[in-house]
Amino acid sequence: MALIEVQNLTKRWRTDRLALDDVSFDVRQGEILGLLGHNGAGKSTILGITLGMVRPDGGQVIIGGHSVHDDRARALGQIGAIYEAAHFYDYLTGWQNLRVLCSLSGWWDEAEVKRVLKLVNLEKRAGHKTKTYSHGMRQRLALAQALLPRPKCLLLDEPTDGLDPEGIREFRELVLKLRAEFGMTILLNSHLLAEVEQMCDRCVILKQGKKMYEGIVPSQQKRQNVFQLQTRDMTKAREAIRTAGATMDPDTNLIELPAHLVGHELLQQLVQAGVRVDAWQPHKPTLEEFYLGLTGA
Amino acid sequence: MILFFHQWQGELLKLFARRRTYIGFGAFLGLEIVLLIVFRLQGVERIFERLISRQGQAFGEYYSAITLAQMILGFSVLLLGAIYLALVAGDIVAKEGEDGHYRLLLVRPVTRLRLLFIKYLTSTCYTFVLIQFIAWTAFLLGLAIKGWGGGFFVMIPEAGILEFYQWAEGIERYAVASCFLAVSMTTVSSVAFFLSCFPIKPAAATIGALSYILVDLILRNTGFMENYDHFLLTKHMSAWGRIYTEHIPWPVIMRSFTIIAAANASLFILGTAVFESRDLKS
Repeated sequence: MALIEVQNLTKRWRTDRLALDDVSFDVRQGEILGLLGHNGAGKSTILGITLGMVRPDGGQVIIGGHSVHDDRARALGQIGAIYEAAHFYDYLTGWQNLRVLCSLSGWWDEAEVKRVLKLVNLEKRAGHKTKTYSHGMRQRLALAQALLPRPKCLLLDEPTDGLDPEGIREFRELVLKLRAEFGMTILLNSHLLAEVEQMCDRCVILKQGKKMYEGIVPSQQKRQNVFQLQTRDMTKAREAIRTAGATMDPDTNLIELPAHLVGHELLQQLVQAGVRVDAWQPHKPTLEEFYLGLTGA
Repeated sequence: MILFFHQWQGELLKLFARRRTYIGFGAFLGLEIVLLIVFRLQGVERIFERLISRQGQAFGEYYSAITLAQMILGFSVLLLGAIYLALVAGDIVAKEGEDGHYRLLLVRPVTRLRLLFIKYLTSTCYTFVLIQFIAWTAFLLGLAIKGWGGGFFVMIPEAGILEFYQWAEGIERYAVASCFLAVSMTTVSSVAFFLSCFPIKPAAATIGALSYILVDLILRNTGFMENYDHFLLTKHMSAWGRIYTEHIPWPVIMRSFTIIAAANASLFILGTAVFESRDLKS
């Protein structure tokens, strides 16, 4: 079931640059969906429209059955978000910042706030002014505000930008914990391929405002349908592969299997055709290979 | 309604947690003390003595705490009031944009209209509180120097007002006038608020508002707009002084304050329309 439905979004900036060109996709309940693309591909614009910060020229976003445009309060009442870099009120403490932000949701529950502060490991610094916070602490506070009051879905816009490796790892583990423990749905916008690969179930890839791919993160595909063959009988092998209905890339010797065929069956057919197989191994394309292949970068 | 008060509480927390908010109160108190010293200088006192005596009244009786308070209030608001109120109201929307706070505020389930209304209400309340602070600290300073009692002498040359009242009536009129003055000063904050809804720097909103008020005031005082001065906001803003005329011209005052209310509402609606049309993305 889709929690967020992005429907035919189109946006053209005043400079006449096309930011989004008829982009549609769904974020399903309980999944982590990665939004990938180069700088300026339209990732943040999609998040901006989802949060009602940017007006689309066409299309709409539905959250839990409510249109962001027509019923903003109900739609956004179901989500928490970190949109672009989080800038807090420096003259307020972390606790006061949360109070100000939660007041806009008409909600305040000290016990829940303390629980979330503990979750993001900020309970000891909540009483300090945010101008004394490191970048990592600000990001954790940003996550805390996104989690208050407990949302069904999190929208994270490049949340690990500017964090050190330890901070990135900590943040990643926290997000995965949120999904595991609370079944939270997460839409993650990132240009860090490794981050998406490690965290997301599915991804949407954008290029110059157009959707290029929507599906399972390639390296996480359960069905193994690409194999690499090493043989001295390449001519014989090509013939057998063609007969079996598979395709082979002559440059990389990667064989892509059709849906009805599995790896060991093709291997058996190759052997039966008299091909001397030196090596036969499954090949999982990395997200980087997939992404670069798709975007032509 | 409870939700609205929750949201307003958050806005007030931001306003009153800022040191800058109190600097304004401190600055006005400092200015009032300076003005009090000026009004106590012999040369200055002699001017007022002449003015009061020429009307056949006793200077010692009418140069009282309330008279000093009225003079301090008038001069303080004239010298610093517009600047400070334009500064606060110019900040209230534009500064949040400049600092990137809308990225946190508007991901919450609150409409832009509601958010702006809360900000406008806060700015209006701040205007009212600040003017009342100036009025009553001026009165306290007057009391400290002159003590309780005496008459009330008030002079507003541009409105042709030169009146003498007894102590009780003087305080009553002073209290009412300070409330009307506060309402009239919301026009300055409304202009600054309107400008701060555009994607501009907070300082630009402040300068823009002050420039508008200043040009309006100059046009009124040069006399070029004599037949059209009902179009000038500062004419209606000055209606608060008429509370001091012997027979208060309520229809004239209410007409001016209705125009002020309409101008403020229009500025709020236009500002909101501008803000609604903006894409809030870096």
